[in-house]
Amino acid sequence: MSEQVIGSGTAAPRNIPIRKRDSNSTVAIRVRNVSKSFPGVQALRGINFELLSGEVHGLVGANGAGKSTFIRMLSGASVPDTGEIEVQGSPLLFDDPRLQSGAGIAAIYQELTIIPEMSVLSNAFLGKVPSRFFVTDKRRMERRFAELSEWMGLKIPPHANAGSLSVANQQMIEILRAVQTDQNVLIMDEPTAPLGPYERARLYELIGRLKESGVAIIFISHDLDEVLQLSDRVSVMREGLLVETRTAANWTKDTLVQAMLGDVQIVPGSKRTHASDQELLHVSNLALPGRVSGLSFGLHEGEILGIAGLVGAGRTEVLRCIAGAEPSAQGSMRFVGVDCPWPRTIREAIGRGIVLAPEDRKRQGLVLSRSSLSNLMLADLPAVAVGPVIDRSKTRERGTALARQLGFNPERLDAEALNLSGGNQQKLVLGKWLNRKPRILLLDEPTRGIDLGAKQEIFQAIRRLSDQGMGVILVSSDLEEVVEHSDRVLVMARGRQIDILDGHDATVERILNLIFAVESRASDAGVS
Amino acid sequence: MSDADILASAPARQTANWRAQLPTLIRVYGIILTLVLLLAVVTIGNPAFISQQNVFNMASQWAPAGIMAVGMTFVILTGGFDLSVASAYSLCAVVAAYVGQNHAPSVSFAAAIAVGLVFGLANGILVAVVRINPFITTVGSGFIINGVALVLTQNAAFLVNNDDFGILGAGRWHGIPYSGMLLVIFLVFFGFVLARTIYGEAIYAVGGNYEASRLSGIRVRAVVASAYVLMGGCVGLAGCIAASQLSSAQANLDPGIIFDVLTIVVVGGTSLSGGSGAMWRTAVGLGIIATISNGFVLLDISPYYQSIIKGSIIVAALALDTGLTRLVRAK
Ligand SMILES: Nc1ncnc2c1ncn2[C@@H]1O[C@H](COP(=O)(O)OP(=O)(O)OP(=O)(O)O)[C@@H](O)[C@H]1O
Ligand SMILES: [Mg+2]
Repeated sequence: MSEQVIGSGTAAPRNIPIRKRDSNSTVAIRVRNVSKSFPGVQALRGINFELLSGEVHGLVGANGAGKSTFIRMLSGASVPDTGEIEVQGSPLLFDDPRLQSGAGIAAIYQELTIIPEMSVLSNAFLGKVPSRFFVTDKRRMERRFAELSEWMGLKIPPHANAGSLSVANQQMIEILRAVQTDQNVLIMDEPTAPLGPYERARLYELIGRLKESGVAIIFISHDLDEVLQLSDRVSVMREGLLVETRTAANWTKDTLVQAMLGDVQIVPGSKRTHASDQELLHVSNLALPGRVSGLSFGLHEGEILGIAGLVGAGRTEVLRCIAGAEPSAQGSMRFVGVDCPWPRTIREAIGRGIVLAPEDRKRQGLVLSRSSLSNLMLADLPAVAVGPVIDRSKTRERGTALARQLGFNPERLDAEALNLSGGNQQKLVLGKWLNRKPRILLLDEPTRGIDLGAKQEIFQAIRRLSDQGMGVILVSSDLEEVVEHSDRVLVMARGRQIDILDGHDATVERILNLIFAVESRASDAGVS
Repeated sequence: MSDADILASAPARQTANWRAQLPTLIRVYGIILTLVLLLAVVTIGNPAFISQQNVFNMASQWAPAGIMAVGMTFVILTGGFDLSVASAYSLCAVVAAYVGQNHAPSVSFAAAIAVGLVFGLANGILVAVVRINPFITTVGSGFIINGVALVLTQNAAFLVNNDDFGILGAGRWHGIPYSGMLLVIFLVFFGFVLARTIYGEAIYAVGGNYEASRLSGIRVRAVVASAYVLMGGCVGLAGCIAASQLSSAQANLDPGIIFDVLTIVVVGGTSLSGGSGAMWRTAVGLGIIATISNGFVLLDISPYYQSIIKGSIIVAALALDTGLTRLVRAK
């Protein structure tokens, strides 16, 4: 088994062991009137902000509100147009991330900066390699890596290729890299988005410990429960403004949503309106040697089937097999009542109307150098073309309609995907496949980095399509999301199917209990 | 759509004046500025530069390199590279001249283009299907092709005594050279293909992100291979034009032409990492390189200084491009 759930033991994801900050704190970072614009976008408008030493400061806001742009100013990755930033009382020198780490600030960015071809170890010490007389000190690196892994509760092999890790473990390496520099300020941009419950719990513990040792932390997330539990204070950003800062106790989830999005009603996810007996897809004995085995399940017309499991349980592999992305997959498939060979290529699966929206938007989802519009149309170009020639007005019409469905600002359709906020990039990945109106839509972590309001609209759009007969398989590390939106939930652990729960019986506790029963049995038996 | 997003678009509208757009404009069109400057300098130095006669001559002279730059734009956009073009170009010219000695020019040109396509296909298969690094593939195939040409010809020149053979390269219609017309037709037609067709979109997508394109159902291997085949066709035609212009050909016709072809594409601003660029950029790049080279002659600059100046201008053009962008962005 290449990569399994790291460690063992039962994680209680919402139980966060954190000591709250004591009141007499000094100012670690002071920001005065910082503004930043990009061609056509005013990303930040006169931000004033204070970070106290030893506090965890939550930062929330809708997609494109300017959170990432803001923290990039603090870490020196980017320079403000106007305004001042003071760190520990002295002004920040701009335009060089290396100077900032001299200033005691480490940052974890929203997009992974892992270099997939290099080892885990090299990635962990990227740019900060311990050396003796200009020669890298491999032994010291290994020792330090082992210490930190132990401390963070990680079990990642140091000499594996970083590219072979799951996105969650790649993220943990990013975190380790920032932590090992031992700075006074740690900035984390949506660190939990790619993590499963186990890794999240480890990160919460880590944040608690760092805080105790006096590190000030800025924590960005779209998971408001998490933000409220972890933070001492929470600031809300909206359209480039920092609208309000309050202590966490003085916010509730509702007031946060209100401040972030304005008057948006958060309605709970809806279940299937009409049950269909027509089976769209039936999978028997699916196996991918060494990764998953023994999966059998059906997917009905108009159904959303959730797959729940921890990181490394094999959820992504299942989706990739069905989408034809794993040539060595074994198993038999019945598609709309007809037995057919297992798809061996992506194009074969797409030909049947089975499509996959992959989890890693930067590597597998988007062509970053192209416009948002091009990306939306990429999977279904013939639909907007007359013969070989693309019809521009049709493209724009379709693109605008899609953008509306996704809560994506249509005026930014011509922006390069590279310049969009993380959440808006994610909307493009989904939009690309919704555009194709597939028979079966496979979603791998579809809402990673998407704000609450947009998440809701996206699930409404998905439900609309599924009510017209589309089948959906949903993989998400956010168990609440899986439970809320799925008609049935398939529970996986260690590459195997454990159970299929009916929507009404599926609760987060029940799923976690099922999973951890298998996990602890496996670790008792000494299997790793 | 959410309120937040409607609101988020408001600041965009307010600042969408020319000032805010300036960095983008310069980043996108800065290279045109360079061309205009160069044209102005050379024209002031010697007004004969913009005479009809001179412009037509340049079009004809630069037709082979320009047509190959069209193919190279496709290859580079897919994230690849073709270093075999100089050898293939000579070989195609030799084939045209050799066949042209005893057959009709149309037959000889068809043969040369076919040879170009075959070598293009070979490169394409090696790069896209066997997945050998394009740099290695084409350096290797370049050596092989050059070797083949030398073995076949023993490095002898092939002369063609047939006036019709010269029409493609040297013929004119009301003073306009056919070769120059072909060049313009290629730039315009393939520019359209790149900018407006499904195939063009696929070229950009594959170069921008291979894996994402594959997962989107694009025939990635076919698209990559096709770029090399197109390159081969362009090389074949360029070889024909060169042979026709000289009424002869030789195995080491012009080994340096590869640098012209690459420089034309890259100076225009097409990125060597693939996925970003355009055919109009190649047209501008061609303009710049042709103007520099022709300008040297017209301005009577000593050949010793020519290389120094040419190199400096090329580097300066790229520096201007990025430098201006930063300068304007910083404010
Ligand atoms: N390099 C850039 N060029 C142009 N626009 C940019 C660039 N970087 C960011 N922007 C724009 O600035 C705005 C703020 O983006 P930012 O990434 O800070 O949002 P965010 O709050 O982090 O959103 P998310 O929750 O989706 O991550 C967006 O409209 C984005 O498109
Ligand atoms: Mg962000």
